Amino acid sequence: MTDSSVPQDAVVIERSFDAPPALIWQMWTEPEHFKEWYGPDGVTVPVAKMDVRAGGTRLVCMEMDTPGGLRRMWFTGEYREVVPNQRLVYTESMSDQNGNVLSPADLGMPPGHPATTEVIVELQDLGSRTKMVLTHTGIPADSAGAAGWAMAFRKLAAHVEAQGRGSAG
Amino acid sequence: MTPVTDEDRLSETFAALASSTRRAILARLAQGEANVNELAGPFDLTLPAISKHIKVLERAGLVVRSQRAQYRPCALDPAPLEEVSAWAEQYRPVWEARFDQMDDYLTRLRSQRTDKHDD
Repeated sequence: MTDSSVPQDAVVIERSFDAPPALIWQMWTEPEHFKEWYGPDGVTVPVAKMDVRAGGTRLVCMEMDTPGGLRRMWFTGEYREVVPNQRLVYTESMSDQNGNVLSPADLGMPPGHPATTEVIVELQDLGSRTKMVLTHTGIPADSAGAAGWAMAFRKLAAHVEAQGRGSAG
Repeated sequence: MTPVTDEDRLSETFAALASSTRRAILARLAQGEANVNELAGPFDLTLPAISKHIKVLERAGLVVRSQRAQYRPCALDPAPLEEVSAWAEQYRPVWEARFDQMDDYLTRLRSQRTDKHDD
């Protein structure tokens, strides 16, 4: 169980779905399915280009209806690990429609938003059901992956928690 | 004009964290303070090299060095890390909403398939 009061370097969400891993895999890797669920409420996904293989690129557009008109946001990234029905790892950065990476600050994101994040999807076969663990984490530019980063943070988290106890507002 | 100092400091934090050696130094300091000699040992680095890494961490505010003793022990200051980690929580409700929708979509797919195959 994740204690949300402890500062985290990552969002970790565990869910289980009433579907086999192969179908959950399709949810992530086939644009036709991906578009059906990926947009949060009020957001559609008009474009999802996915070259699902290690080193392959992705480009996703999210479109939202705002009082100022339709607003489009583009995200690009690269697939880093592709193990069908088990494990998917890809990076994500905000970009323009051609996949040129843009700085989060330029796009009005709050301070502290890393330029590149990594999404890790792990699927576990529970018979007709699937347990899915999503990890969405920030990665430093020169890092080969988020694992080392996340591990360093986890070790620090205990310390941060001890220090922060009683001083939190 | 909005001050950009917060953002500058965060960039510095990210830059400081963009090195596996510096992350390892922080992990070591999370267990307690240590001086440069103690830090250099496990990393198989020269003292000047380790000092350079520590200076980067100091500039980012992640490490404070005591002036009280000659060996100037280094200690971890986790405050900048808390700012860095704040971004992640903004994504939690977004992902939760997406997975609710995935659930709904899977249910729709299932009922369509049942209709088609009539089993």
